[in-house]
Order: sequence, then structure tokens, then C-alpha cells
Amino acid sequence: MSELAVAMFAASTDSHLLDEPRSARFERFRAELDEPSILADLDRRGIRWVARGAPGYPARLRRIHDPPPGLFIRGAAELTLFDAPCVAVVGARACSSYGAAVAAELARGLARAGVVVVSGLARGVDGAAHRGALDTGTTVAVLGCGVDRDYPRAHRLLATSIVERGLIVSEYPPGVEPAPWRFPARNRIVAGLCDATVVVEARERSGALITADLALDESREVLAVPGEITSLLSKGTNHLLRLGAIPVTCLGDVLAVVGLTPVPQVPALIEPRLEVIRAAVADVPAAADELVRKTGLPAGVVAATLAELELAGVVVQADGLYRAVMAVS
Amino acid sequence: MLARTVTHALVGIDPRRVEVEAHIQGGIPSFAIVGLADRACQEAKARVRSSVAAAELEWPSSARVTINLAPAALRKEGSGFDLPIALAVLAASYQVPARSLEGHAAFGELGLDGRLRPVPGALVAAEGARRAGLTHLVCALESAPEVALAGVEPVGVRHLGEAVSYLRGEHEPLEPPPPEDDFEMLACVPDLADVRGQERARRALEIAAAGGHNLLFAGPPGTGKTMLARRLPSLLPLLGDEAALEVTRIHSVCGTLPPGAGLVRVPPFRAPHHSSSVAGLIGGGAGSLRPGEVSLAHRGVLFLDELPEFQRPVLEALRQPLEDGFVSVARVAMRAVFPARFQLIAAMNLCPCGGRGDPAARCACTPERIQRYREKLSRALLDRFDLVITVPRPRGHELAGPAGERSAAVRARVLAARERLRTAPPVRSAPADELLERAVEHLPLSGRGHARVARVAATIAALAGAGDVLPEHVAEALSYRLPREADG
Repeated sequence: MSELAVAMFAASTDSHLLDEPRSARFERFRAELDEPSILADLDRRGIRWVARGAPGYPARLRRIHDPPPGLFIRGAAELTLFDAPCVAVVGARACSSYGAAVAAELARGLARAGVVVVSGLARGVDGAAHRGALDTGTTVAVLGCGVDRDYPRAHRLLATSIVERGLIVSEYPPGVEPAPWRFPARNRIVAGLCDATVVVEARERSGALITADLALDESREVLAVPGEITSLLSKGTNHLLRLGAIPVTCLGDVLAVVGLTPVPQVPALIEPRLEVIRAAVADVPAAADELVRKTGLPAGVVAATLAELELAGVVVQADGLYRAVMAVS
Repeated sequence: MLARTVTHALVGIDPRRVEVEAHIQGGIPSFAIVGLADRACQEAKARVRSSVAAAELEWPSSARVTINLAPAALRKEGSGFDLPIALAVLAASYQVPARSLEGHAAFGELGLDGRLRPVPGALVAAEGARRAGLTHLVCALESAPEVALAGVEPVGVRHLGEAVSYLRGEHEPLEPPPPEDDFEMLACVPDLADVRGQERARRALEIAAAGGHNLLFAGPPGTGKTMLARRLPSLLPLLGDEAALEVTRIHSVCGTLPPGAGLVRVPPFRAPHHSSSVAGLIGGGAGSLRPGEVSLAHRGVLFLDELPEFQRPVLEALRQPLEDGFVSVARVAMRAVFPARFQLIAAMNLCPCGGRGDPAARCACTPERIQRYREKLSRALLDRFDLVITVPRPRGHELAGPAGERSAAVRARVLAARERLRTAPPVRSAPADELLERAVEHLPLSGRGHARVARVAATIAALAGAGDVLPEHVAEALSYRLPREADG
């Protein structure tokens, strides 16, 4: 069987194919297909093709019930990456600053422990997860379009960093445009590549829940980050928890699922003058003005301290609110 | 008989000498104005005729009256020619001694009852008179304080009849009312004490005032962004003589000078609406070239609320004045250069619906919509803001808190810092340099971002009275940088 021909035929007919179809049209297509020149062209563009039958094809993905005929892969990392423990971190595109902070911090901790973080390069949770993972390790982005497309455009720079240190993969040949029906298909690859899937924030009907369902179908673990019960963004994740997903209360919860223990982290040394402010944002996110009143320090001193804490990675700011980075380890 | 008076036309904000010649000769009775006079200027005929009658003087009704405005190639606009035309006609008809007009210029609009009305641009007309070597300017009484600023003796009159009796030597001109005191005008500027809470924004405003930095406020509506911006002039030093004259000249031409005001000493504050056109903001216009909002804000504050709602071309047009401190406006027929050295304060919401950053509201904007909203601001424009702060909505009890510090106290610190920045600007210490390098490495901070932070840090050090820029000054400056999503 020629997996490349199947992949190219599926893309050219906008269909979802796993094996060679028995049709005259496919026979004609294969007869006309100049595989060596396609492979040469891919090679020239730095894109690898891994057929389902080839070594290097991710073992976990091969075990799902509808594994793609092959993967187009861009990026500098080795394909042995797929043999390491992999965890998907997915969630809402329109996430809250809480969701983005949790995704980034979880991904950072997972990557530090040697886990490959897999996500979909979408805005929101996906992007935060990739960014966090790149801070301490590597990451894999699965696209619902050609690997040369860098979709969405807002994540162009992020995609460039992933290509430098991780992998961008897709079952679609280069040039294929993103289409709504391709995203659920993409999600099965995200779930299929991973031992476990963590949903950070999701609305009631969200693509991240599709990923979670697909993971369950393949008997992979599903974890969810609890959220405020009054927030629409927690509806999906809290629903998963009620159905029996593992709640994520710290990094260790995720690592335990893949059989790892957290790397003990040396707590960042914080000077006492910084500690006052850090403690003030530890419980609830606060605006700078509230901190001025809480601590009685002048606004200038509070601003300077917040900047130093941000620089130390202890505090993050979004929309004017400062929050302490979750102690996930 | 031929008589002549002198007045000045405005070209942009510069005076051009115009001679008004009146010729009275026998023939079929008529009244004509020649010399490229526009509509308002042509209508002077009706006003001048009625005024002469109202002043109980005689119109040469059985003669042919011709007015020539020289140079004939210069387009004349507006109603300031009424008075010089009337005086020229009266001199040509021997009702005013022609010799008494020597050394005098005239400028003003007449009413049908002969009263004299002030016309925008009296200061510029007076400067023209001084340059032309004239010593007196006959004008409306309200314009007299402006005229006096140019070093020309104002002859402020209320009525054409008064002007005539002055020229006949029958009585001396009235004393113009003394201009308003500078400090009294400062008292009219809203005070920072009205702002409750908002410690961070107040601090940013103080730094902006001390270093002349452009400042961008981001936050949901109703967080007092506009209120804060309006209070910036109360923190700035009063304008020096030369700057005050520049500012007064622009406001005189645009007619935005309060009546009876002397020199504008308080830095002006302009807040054009986001529907403003390029010509409205930058200057220009169909007929004559007029200064725009950027020039009205010269040496003061230009406040642009809802920054992303301005049309893109308007925002891009702002870049030249922000860079050069002037705008040069060119049309086929003429060109003009207007000063425009202003401090830019802008405000924007965090998303198009305004709900983001407000715990009481739910933002319904999609990420794409927010992205589009923020993309309306080009990098080149965002680079002009040294200070960017996000102002979340204050909670109810903050608004009930004690009144803030008064402007006068903040102003004293600002003036001291400005003096320090001028005489002995603080130099970055080695540890401060180290922190800045660390920030470049760990934060998304571009090369231009680096320069912005360094500038702001120097201002913060000057405000603190420090000789060197210390790490804490750099750290504070870092907290006012462009947020990550905007600093790609």
C-alpha cells in the first residue's frame, strides 16, 4: 500500500481516508502520482514524511482505531520524541488569564520533567501550553492544515520557535487550507499521540472536549483543571470531572499519570521586600492600586516590585490584574 | 480722492500685509470691492454701508466707490477687512483726516449698527503691524489685550464712531481691561485632588509630566481615564514667554482664545473626538490652511480617547508631528508650517465591547475581534508611547476613599524633576544596566522598548531626586512597558 498516495488523494478530494479506496478514480490518481518527485520536493522544503508502516511513526498513534496513513513533519527535533511520555494540554481559545497561566505553568513543569507537551497551536490555552513547554523543554503542535501554513497567523512567531526546538505535524500535505471539519480529525491525532490529555478550560461544547472524548475512546487518561463553578469557561471541565476525569490540583497529579515524580524545584529566592507584594497577590489576583492600599507602599515602589516579580517569573499580569504563578510543583 | 489703510491677512498663522485702497470718483453710483475677496469679504459692502450710516457719517452716495485689496493676487478671507475698508472710504470722502491714519493698522468686523466685533487672529495681525513698522492697531476693544501682546499700541474701540472720533483727535482710546492673571487661569484647570484611588495611574501621570512622556491608558470604560488626562496640564510648568506667544498666536487664529485673555500661560488641553478628519487633526482645510488639533495642543496636551476608533489615516498622520514637533501642510495653491510639539495622552478599551478588565461586565468579544481591535494601532504609533498602563475598574469602596493629593504638591515635584533632568540628568548605574539587560533577555522587550524603559527610568530617578538611575527605577519603568500581546 502507498500511504503517501492515500494521504495526497484524501487531501485532493477533501475526504477522510485511512486505507486505499477501491475506486477507478484512486487508481488513476495513483498512476499519475509521481511519488519520488513529491518526496524530493518535501525534502527540499525540510518536511519529513513518515508513513504508517515506517519506523519512526508514533507507536501510540498507530494503536488508535483510525490512525492517519502518515504524518508530514516539520521541525528540528528527532522523531524519537514520540517515544517519550507525551501529554496533551488543550482548552478554550478564548480562555481567561487564569486558564492561560495554568496551561503555561503546567506545560513548563511537564517539560521540565521530560514530558513532551502536545497541543493544537490554537489561540488561548494551546498557545500558552506551547509557550510554557518551550521555556523548559520541547513541544509538538498538531495542525488541521498543511504544516507549512502556520495557522493561526497570530502564532507565526510561536510556530517558528516550535520548528527550532520541537515538531509541527499534520496528516495533511503542505498547502492544505484549514477547514472546520479538519479540526476534530486533528484532535484525534493530539489525543492519539499522548498518554494523557489535560483539559484546562472548556465551554460546554468545545473542541477540547472532543479531544477528551477521543482520548477516552482509546482508553487514555483524561484530566481536567477545576474552575470556578460560575464561569462558562469551567462548564466543560467541571462536567468532565463529574464524569470521572482526574482533577488536576498540582503538577504532580499529571506526572503521576505518566509514572513520573515531580523534579524537586529549588524555590526561587525572594527578597523580603518582594515577598510582601507576592504574598498580597497569592490568594486573589489584584490590581496595582489595590496592592498600594493593602501594603501602604507608594505606587512607584509597588510598580517596581511587581516588575521585579514578573521578571523572576513569580507573578504574571493580564489586563491590569496581577496574580501569583500557581505553585504547581 | 484716493485714501489708503493697512491691515493684515492671515496665511496659515502668518500675517501678510494688505493695503486697502479706496477710490471715490464721479460717475454712476456704485460700490465695488476688487482684489480676490472671498464671500465674507464681499459682504463687507453691506456691513460697511450700514455702519457708516449708524455712526451718523455720510456715505458718498452720489459717487463711484472702488475698494482695492492689494496685493491683488493674495486670496482675502474673512470679515476683518470691514474696519479698514470703512476707514479708507471715510478718509477718501474727507470725513477722517487721511494723515491721522499714518502709523495705524486696522482690523475688525463691523455690525449693521456700527459696533465693532472681534475677529480671530488679532494677535497675528498685530504682529504683522509691528513688523510693518506701524505703532497702532485700531481693533475691537475685546481684541486689545491680544494686540498689546505683540508690542503694538492697541486702539480698542466699541463702535465705528469711536474709531472716527479717535482719528479726528477728539478723544483718547479706552484703556483695555487688564488681562487675567496667569495663576487665576491655572485655578480653572481641574485639580488632581478630585481623583480618588487610581494610585498607579496618578503615578504614571506624574512621571509623564516630569519627563514629557507620551502615555497610553488601557482599561474598561468608566475608570477615569479621561478625568486623569484632563488633569495633566495642572502638573505641567507654565509656559515661558516665547512658548506662550506661539501658543497664543495659534489660538488667536483659530478663535479659541477666551475673550479678554492675555498670553496663554497654562499648557493647552485638546481632546478631539475620534470621528475627527485628518485635516481637522493635522491642519489644512479647503479654503485657507488652518491649524489642526495637533497645533492647538502645541506645548500642551493632546488627548485621544478611544484611540483605536480613530481612522487609520488619522493615526498614521500623527507620526510626523510626534517626530518633528511641527506639521507642514501643502495644498496646490499654498503651503503652511504649523508648530505641533505636544504631549500625547491616549486611552483605549481592552476590547471593542469594553467589558474586558471589568469584573462586573462580561466581555463577549472573540479573540479575533480583540486582535483586530488592537491591530488598528500600528507598531510605529505604539512605539511613541513611553508609558503604557492598564487601569482596571476600581471597586466601589475605593471611590469612597479620601481625596487624592492636590495638583500643586505633585507639580512641585514635577518642576524639581524637570530642573534636574535639564541640568544634571541621572546616569544609569551598573546594577541598573544589569537589570535592564536581564529584562531584555527574559521579557519580550524590543530594542525600542529598551530605549523607552531607559528614558522613563531616568525620569523616575529624577523624580526621586537620585543622582544615578538605580535598579528600582528601571524596575518601575519596566512595569509601565507595552504588554506582551502588543509587543510581538
